[in-house]
Amino acid sequence: MPPLEVGVSKQVTRREFLNLLGAAGGTAAALKAGSALGLLPHTAQAATLDLRAANPAKRKVAILGAGLSGLTVAYELSKVGYECTILESSHRPGGRVFTVRHGDLIDEIGNRQYCEFDDEPHMYFNAGAARIPSTHRNLLAYCKELEIDLEVFINENKTSFMQDPALNGGKPIRNIDYTTHTRGFLAELLAKSLSAGEMDQPFTDSEAETLMSLIRSFGDLNEDNLYKGSLRAGYASGGFLEHGVQKDIIAMSELLKTQMGSRFLNASEGDTGPMLFQAVGGMDKIIEGFTNHVGHQIHYRSMVNAVEVKDDGIDIAYDQDGTHHLLQADFCFNCIPSHIMTGITNNFPTQYVDALKYIRRGTAYKSAFQAKERFWEKEDIYGGISWMSNPSKQIWYPSAGMHKQKGIILGAYDYIDGKLHTAMTQEQRIEAHLTDGEKIHPNYRNQVEKPITIAWHRMNHMLGCSARWQRDSDGWTHEEEELYRVLQQPVNGRHYMIGDQVSMHSAWQESAVMSAQWALADFDQRLQA
Amino acid sequence: MLKTFLVFSLCMVCIGGTSAAESEREPFDDRYCTTCHGTDGRGNEGVQAPRLAGMEPWYLRRQLENFRADIRGVHAEDREGTAMRPMATKLTDESIDDIIDWISSWDYIPAEATIKGGDPLRGRGLYGGCAVCHGANATGNQSLGAPALAGQNDWYLVTQLKNFLAGYRGAHPDDTYGAQMRTMVSTLRNEAGILNVVSYINLLSR
Repeated sequence: MPPLEVGVSKQVTRREFLNLLGAAGGTAAALKAGSALGLLPHTAQAATLDLRAANPAKRKVAILGAGLSGLTVAYELSKVGYECTILESSHRPGGRVFTVRHGDLIDEIGNRQYCEFDDEPHMYFNAGAARIPSTHRNLLAYCKELEIDLEVFINENKTSFMQDPALNGGKPIRNIDYTTHTRGFLAELLAKSLSAGEMDQPFTDSEAETLMSLIRSFGDLNEDNLYKGSLRAGYASGGFLEHGVQKDIIAMSELLKTQMGSRFLNASEGDTGPMLFQAVGGMDKIIEGFTNHVGHQIHYRSMVNAVEVKDDGIDIAYDQDGTHHLLQADFCFNCIPSHIMTGITNNFPTQYVDALKYIRRGTAYKSAFQAKERFWEKEDIYGGISWMSNPSKQIWYPSAGMHKQKGIILGAYDYIDGKLHTAMTQEQRIEAHLTDGEKIHPNYRNQVEKPITIAWHRMNHMLGCSARWQRDSDGWTHEEEELYRVLQQPVNGRHYMIGDQVSMHSAWQESAVMSAQWALADFDQRLQA
Repeated sequence: MLKTFLVFSLCMVCIGGTSAAESEREPFDDRYCTTCHGTDGRGNEGVQAPRLAGMEPWYLRRQLENFRADIRGVHAEDREGTAMRPMATKLTDESIDDIIDWISSWDYIPAEATIKGGDPLRGRGLYGGCAVCHGANATGNQSLGAPALAGQNDWYLVTQLKNFLAGYRGAHPDDTYGAQMRTMVSTLRNEAGILNVVSYINLLSR
């Protein structure tokens, strides 16, 4: 998650720093300051498309790929009278919005699996898209319009664990222990610098006093501005019928033994900060919401062979059932992954092809288990994520199905790379996740069964997770931005690349939706011109 | 009696339902090639998957069998090879036969030149050593186990030559032809030599 814009665009003065601190505390004055600095977005509103009705002579639209962006286009254009045909190379709609249930095929090339989870509504795994931030208003607007039930997705759970062999002798500690003590120690340090007069000079007495009170409250410091532990971390014993006994402090020197803190503390900020949602019953309910309207337009197992943009239309050659077919359309919206499109015959301009070739395919890896019993609930965990320093990285506890007998948990999520597990056989992958998970839940191996694994960059017809535009983590280069703009523009006013790949914030459903909406708005404007 | 019958019928439905669900499972075969290797196997630079159309059946078979037997695509630095190997691991002999038949049904269209910076004149001199096995026009020679090079994606040839040179390919003791290639490729010496020779191969046609 990129930092607040003010942090990267210019030096933050101490006064602004105070304002930012104040904003965290939620005071009205600081909020006003934040707004003046452009920190707060304007009133949230989803884009409204006001597309003109189709011209009967030019209403044939080819949509390549039944991913979320393709379905968005089909849905919107069908509303205004276009005749849409969706070609989908796989056997299912949704692309990387993929909910795995009993009997589903996971078509990872070289590692095909059928999911053997119990056949029950809550026994599913969102192998792709899993979280909807409340600020992703365009996606949420479709959820509302399509009457898709949402529920809260629990990203951070204070009772979940963090585990690192370097920390606490390898014994997992609770999120709440790490965060409470870290905040306490950070606050004590801040309070010391403030009292030493290093920070108070630019502040009025009243500001300094407010700041000190904020720091004290942030870390739960005592009247001497020292951190001596906090009941915020919960009780060692008692607390209800008997006096609560405070837990022992974990020393700062101990907390500093793990490198995980920096990742851990911002894991529930930005896009993954509260409030997050998921679709009730699986993220693909969103896809179902669209296919309820446009599902009949989808031709499955239809692999595009060639895209030829012409002056008077666009020809799509594709194979279905071992036969060559030709689809002639007036316009085309294409959400085929860029790295696959480069292997499909086309007559796109050189610069456009260069842009397609520039994008690197993302790698990502997930795994899930069926749990024979919801063992985490016995450890006070309901939803949320435990973090591990080992390669399996995370365990996700389901945000729904509380107190049912069984549940599906995520057993590994490598969102950065995934190559380590991808290189393993299915048996090796599972063994690795069991060994890693045992570090947190000692009886894990016996509590879980029916594993599935999914290496997104090996998935048939996808070969990648989210598009990676940036070669460098420092931000977009000028060249990258130019290529992005090239790819956003239509070829000959007829062919649009869409999907989260044509956004500056790939990996989110919102980006797929917004990319589709951008293309539709541009398309409509061109027709009006 | 009626109740018993109903319960029995419901059970039958349950059992029937389960087996129906099994048969409804999405079937699959091993014809995955075009996902990576592109339309009619013409190669896809986007995922660095080479042209298969026009590849000799005997060469395809040898490489698929090498991948399957962990002879090729095992070195961690061989990025493309390690991506390919798991695809081949589960192939049966029948699947390999089927894939080779399928590939031979695709039209061979020579690949476009894409690489920059090579000197074909210098490359011509270097190619002399290659020509012994691959032929003066790089059309290949089955009796020597040498595939055609002309018409192949140039970026793929560059990657493979680099891999041979670095020992990422051809180092396995059972990779007889790979070992020969490693010896030969040492005459190209470095990346500049590789670019030169591939830019010369780009001028040849089959």
